[in-house]
Amino acid sequence: MEWWLWPIALFAITFAMGIVAVLAGVGGGVLFVPIVSAFFPFHLDFVRAAGLLIALTSALSAAPSLLVNGLASLRLAMPLALVGSVTSVIGALLGLALPTGIVQIALGVTILGIALIMWRAGRAEHPDVARPDALGVALGMHGVYHDPALARDVSWQVHRTPSAFFAFAGIGVLAGMFGLGAGWANVPALNLLMGVPLKLAVGTSGFVLSVVDTSAAWIYLNRGAVLPMIVVPSLIGVMLGAKVGARLLRIAPASLVRKIVLTVLLVAGGRALLKGLGI
Amino acid sequence: MEHRIYARWLDIGTRIGAALLVASFAIYVFGWLDPHVPHADLVRLWTLPADHYVAATGAPTGWAWLQHLHKGDYLNFLGVAVFTTITIVCYARIVPALPRLHAALALIQIAVLLAAALS
Repeated sequence: MEWWLWPIALFAITFAMGIVAVLAGVGGGVLFVPIVSAFFPFHLDFVRAAGLLIALTSALSAAPSLLVNGLASLRLAMPLALVGSVTSVIGALLGLALPTGIVQIALGVTILGIALIMWRAGRAEHPDVARPDALGVALGMHGVYHDPALARDVSWQVHRTPSAFFAFAGIGVLAGMFGLGAGWANVPALNLLMGVPLKLAVGTSGFVLSVVDTSAAWIYLNRGAVLPMIVVPSLIGVMLGAKVGARLLRIAPASLVRKIVLTVLLVAGGRALLKGLGI
Repeated sequence: MEHRIYARWLDIGTRIGAALLVASFAIYVFGWLDPHVPHADLVRLWTLPADHYVAATGAPTGWAWLQHLHKGDYLNFLGVAVFTTITIVCYARIVPALPRLHAALALIQIAVLLAAALS
């Protein structure tokens, strides 16, 4: 196959991914890494680096409006992002040091785990936090945000902050090692574990991701794992696809799209696992 | 207050990064600047692990890409570097607007990101 067909193929597939990702409410990176590593000839190192940069640029592009509209909290995100950004460096270094077969197996297991989380995890619009914990209070993890759908201000506070630090440490390792982005884990950790209202959890998750992925992205960049021929068409494809997806959001059957994404993740995760096992 | 400052600087940074990335990729893919690794060779080389790719092509690691900006492929790194640097700039910009504890967290975060960038 001629070299120039690959960026075109990447653009086409990532454009479709961008649409589906928005409709299913997941990040582009979580679809990119399993699908492209399973069906394209690129080495996993380059795919993970590209996935990380896709997740990073998507998060960076969305953050300004989320911050201005009060749907992302800096004071909630900063301590968690700090922990995640340290461990994402460890994840990236591990991912580049371990044999490809082992990383491939771990990727397959992680993707199947993500599919399970997406299938089973519930969500709470406004979780009840009866008593905030001392660490959360000390770190200023509380506030008020305006919910346009409810047309009123919603006050929030958090609990289980120490457990959340451990969760974000683990999420950082996975984000750095696999370049998956981490919205699939950030949102349940903020919403179900810490008791952050869902909308604020989604917005703050993007902000945390933008910091966590930045530190891991430097590791891949500095070690020669960033190939513009893979990164740029994918990035443009996902971003344009996401714009189309946002327009289709009103008419698309969300539950059907979610089932399709789950199926794709199961197939891609299974393929990554088999590839890693040499089957 | 700090939300607005952060958002304004991030918005500017992402716009600059995206413009640089699209322009530099056009220069690269249409061959207006010779790449370090010829396009046709990529098909064989991108199947290698990153360290083997670096060894096979003599690709720069660390910040050495700055010396290869006259090459089409490494020109793209300018846009990528804007995306990976903008968070450091935004954090530095909001430090004066933060209470003492969060300013300290922001400074530690900047140190972590700089350590990753210089690793």
